[in-house]
Amino acid sequence: MATTQAHTAAAHDLELVALSAAGSPAAFGELVRRHGASVRGLLRRMGADGALADDLAQDAFLAAYEQIAEFRGDGAFQAWVKRIAARLYVKRWRKDARTDLMAEPPEPGGLNDPVQRGVEGRIDLDQALRALSPAERLCVSLCYGAGLSHGEAALALNSPLGTVKSHVKRGLDKLRDRLAPGRDISASENEIHG
Amino acid sequence: MADRTFEMTLERLFAEEPPFRDGELFAARVTEKIHRGWTFRQFLIGSLGLLGGVIGGGQMLSSGLVSRLSVVTAASRHLVSSRLADLASARVLPGGLALNSEVVWMAGALAAVAVGLALTRGIRDI
Repeated sequence: MATTQAHTAAAHDLELVALSAAGSPAAFGELVRRHGASVRGLLRRMGADGALADDLAQDAFLAAYEQIAEFRGDGAFQAWVKRIAARLYVKRWRKDARTDLMAEPPEPGGLNDPVQRGVEGRIDLDQALRALSPAERLCVSLCYGAGLSHGEAALALNSPLGTVKSHVKRGLDKLRDRLAPGRDISASENEIHG
Repeated sequence: MADRTFEMTLERLFAEEPPFRDGELFAARVTEKIHRGWTFRQFLIGSLGLLGGVIGGGQMLSSGLVSRLSVVTAASRHLVSSRLADLASARVLPGGLALNSEVVWMAGALAAVAVGLALTRGIRDI
């Protein structure tokens, strides 16, 4: 048993995918252990709150397990699950689009927010993303976090390509400003929420 | 060029994983859901199989299939016995082999098992 666990922990992602496709939940569990944080982090960066992000991340992994035979290994497993998770979030976002679009950018998380517990440097992106409108944040995260092309993002959002491109451009401009070297993040926060 | 550099920086920042202290718990929840899903499916498939078997068995009994099969079996046994007698008299089979219908049925069953094993192996290789 211990030998199997050690083998699973040392195995390459593709090997774990093959084992999962053969019906090994333990192998898939190792994949979740390896890539769970990445998927959960992406969903938070897209704009989901902690509970929703975790629910959607779970759904994404379950969907990935169901479709594991379709994963051909022509890309990274993590990227594949991220795309599944991103599409699930977009589906949810489209359902609640009206309220989300009108909502104010979320307040910075409390002490229990895992992102806030992170080391400095990792916080920068999360804080900078809060300066974006929900639509800009979503489009930027889809393209640079989930790896979707502008066209794929437009298709997922059921929005015109030009709209997605302009959201991405505006989002990038804001992020470029916020993430500029030497910029004081706390000053940015004051600008956003002050 | 500067745009592309910034985009690459952004991709790198997105690729950085935020730390989660409950990573193990999250993984455990997902695997538990997978297990629960499989248990439910196995139960569902088993129940449906049992139900189908009961219905099928009931239908077979009510249609008098067993009595019809026994008639057909008796006829085929008679046919096989007569063919074997013909083969034995023609000295086609080795002389020392005590050939009767039971031996033929057993050989047939062994052949079926061999085909089953070959199929299983083939499917596994595919």
